Amino acid sequence: MLSSTIGRLTGTGSDDLALGVLGVGNIGMVHLKSARSMPGVEVCAVADALPENRARAERVGVPQTYDDYTTLLEREELDAAVIALPPFLHADAVERAAAAGVDVFVEKPLARSTEEADRMLDTAREAGIAVGVDHTLRYQPDMIGVKSEFEDGTVGHVPYASITRLNDGPLGRPPVENAPPSWPLDPDAAGGGSLLELGIHCFDVLEWLFGELEVQDASTDSTLDIPVEDAATVLLRAPETETSITLHCGSYQWEQLPEVNTRLRLEGITGTISNQDHLPQNFYAGAAKSALTNVLGRFTGDEPDVFGPTFYLQAHYEALSAFCEAIRDGERPPIDGEDGRRSLALAETAAELAAEKNTAELEPLEVTR
Amino acid sequence: MGQSNTVRGALGTDADGSAGSDRSTHPTPHGSWTPSLDERLSALESPVGEALGPVLESIADEPDRITVVPDAHYPFHPSTGMVTDPAVVGAVLDHLSWRTDADLAVAGVSTECMPFERTAEYLGYPDLCERTGAELVDLAPDSPDGDFTRQVFPVDDRSVAVSVPEQLHEDTVLVVPSLRPTDEGNVAGGMRTLGGFADAVAESAPTAVAATRAIEPACCLFDAMTAYGDEPYAANALFAGPTPVVDALAASLFGAGFDDRVIELAPDATESATGVEPRSGSSPQIRVEAVGRTATDPAVDFGAQLDTLETRLKGGTLPPSDETHPAVSIAYRLYAAVGGDAVPPQLELRGGS
Repeated sequence: MLSSTIGRLTGTGSDDLALGVLGVGNIGMVHLKSARSMPGVEVCAVADALPENRARAERVGVPQTYDDYTTLLEREELDAAVIALPPFLHADAVERAAAAGVDVFVEKPLARSTEEADRMLDTAREAGIAVGVDHTLRYQPDMIGVKSEFEDGTVGHVPYASITRLNDGPLGRPPVENAPPSWPLDPDAAGGGSLLELGIHCFDVLEWLFGELEVQDASTDSTLDIPVEDAATVLLRAPETETSITLHCGSYQWEQLPEVNTRLRLEGITGTISNQDHLPQNFYAGAAKSALTNVLGRFTGDEPDVFGPTFYLQAHYEALSAFCEAIRDGERPPIDGEDGRRSLALAETAAELAAEKNTAELEPLEVTR
Repeated sequence: MGQSNTVRGALGTDADGSAGSDRSTHPTPHGSWTPSLDERLSALESPVGEALGPVLESIADEPDRITVVPDAHYPFHPSTGMVTDPAVVGAVLDHLSWRTDADLAVAGVSTECMPFERTAEYLGYPDLCERTGAELVDLAPDSPDGDFTRQVFPVDDRSVAVSVPEQLHEDTVLVVPSLRPTDEGNVAGGMRTLGGFADAVAESAPTAVAATRAIEPACCLFDAMTAYGDEPYAANALFAGPTPVVDALAASLFGAGFDDRVIELAPDATESATGVEPRSGSSPQIRVEAVGRTATDPAVDFGAQLDTLETRLKGGTLPPSDETHPAVSIAYRLYAAVGGDAVPPQLELRGGS
């Protein structure tokens, strides 16, 4: 609990933060592994409906697993919980965590709608629990590099910026190796498509860079006959910096790891700031260098740069680490529920604008004589 | 179907990229892909009819039902060449509905990774079938339409038992594969597409050959409007002929080193399909005959287009798997143990600790 966390850090019998992870699928497992590498954090238990996910968690060394998060929250003495469940379960998990007085770190999107987010935040406020949201882009080294250059004034005034985030979405790319999850393509379960899956990260990082944003226009599309959008383009305005911004997100492009297609460009008076200038020239060479640094650090007593060689996963570690540190210090999470709600509101406004245009296109023209 | 080992070739659009019959309504497109299904379908009507020509005439004998079997193994975007373009299937259905009174069906099969119903929905098949009244059927063994018939065929000097869906065995079948490699580096041709419906204990190659013999497709129409080699290529072509022969043509486009066991076994199937015994141990001799406007338009050099297609497809493979090589996983785990780092979930050994 935000107000009394320091006094309650006794669930593990030590000063460690007692953490539970609700959902250990793909991203939940990243959070689990991050938490287990964090000084001052002890993962007490995880919950997942799938036996294979629980088995993976047990192999990692988690002492207790549950097949449903409700039981975990009832039985375990936790300080905080990571909610890495599909979006349609976020509200229920937050409600149950609030009843147990457990602070929460919620995977993005915070909720499926601002209405749902408001209910969650009201519940959290009444229970006095802290809500953090996993918006990782602003923890990525390339984004940090862009912000640093921007704040140093290296290109002067920035009238225009653009951000693009693309991946292959739930359907993936060949070769087909696993059955795709169905919930990301279910609007009731996910709340939407690319705007909530990818765009929401972009909204968060843009507000971090430029301050509050206004959505001016938007369009969405589906490249297949799927029930959610897999492409969205949004025109934004940042009044504080007087910057016009275009955002494009799409879950239609085959992704070849380790390359990740995120491009951020700030067009300034004297030049351009690009995140590409802050990525490793060669991912494999960068990974080797990071690994070597960590190995040498063992001999000098330095803490390892967790997930450093992977470049992108280290942002997830940093995001969770910052949340845990804030909880431990009795402070507001650096990216809290209000931040998550604001990104959600931008995505929602964009979706509504796009839907209005799509509806207008479908309406027959009135014939007058 | 004309000469026994002849493949009929047709361009999907005119040489200038426009859509054939009506240049006023189909201006030269920009880019290689036309997003509108209706526009693609309209552009393909003539070329599909020209490619299928004699087959459509023979089918006029009024079978009870004609089942079209596309490559719809997973909902990849049709512009990748990784599945049959539903517009090609739509054009086939339109032609069949004009030429015959037979019932029409489009068949697919659910896999471990994807129910056919979901794939078909994402690719737009329900609307496409509704236009011609065609039935959309999942012929997986555990589906309601999954009655199977078992047969035994000699393949490569041994007997191969194969069970195929009753519907494919009894119906007149048109198989419409996409021109692409498989995960295993073979041609995902007509025979392998049909093999995907079969239940057998033999390896995939003899199963595909035996399934083709059991089903006896009336024709194979290869959708090479977009082909996939190492990347998509807008080849703008259709090839029609006996299934083993068109498959052999496809394999030859991927290059001499493209060792496809199905094609190796194809002479056996070719004889069955064409009534002509090929030379012992040889691949069938294939002649590609340009048909329709592709043959008459002086601006078209179909031979040169085939050469380009061969160049673009030669040695083509699918993208590498994201699955981490076990050696990399072991190396990372060793590093993590020494460096005090965490092992990313993606680098865990499957089923291991």
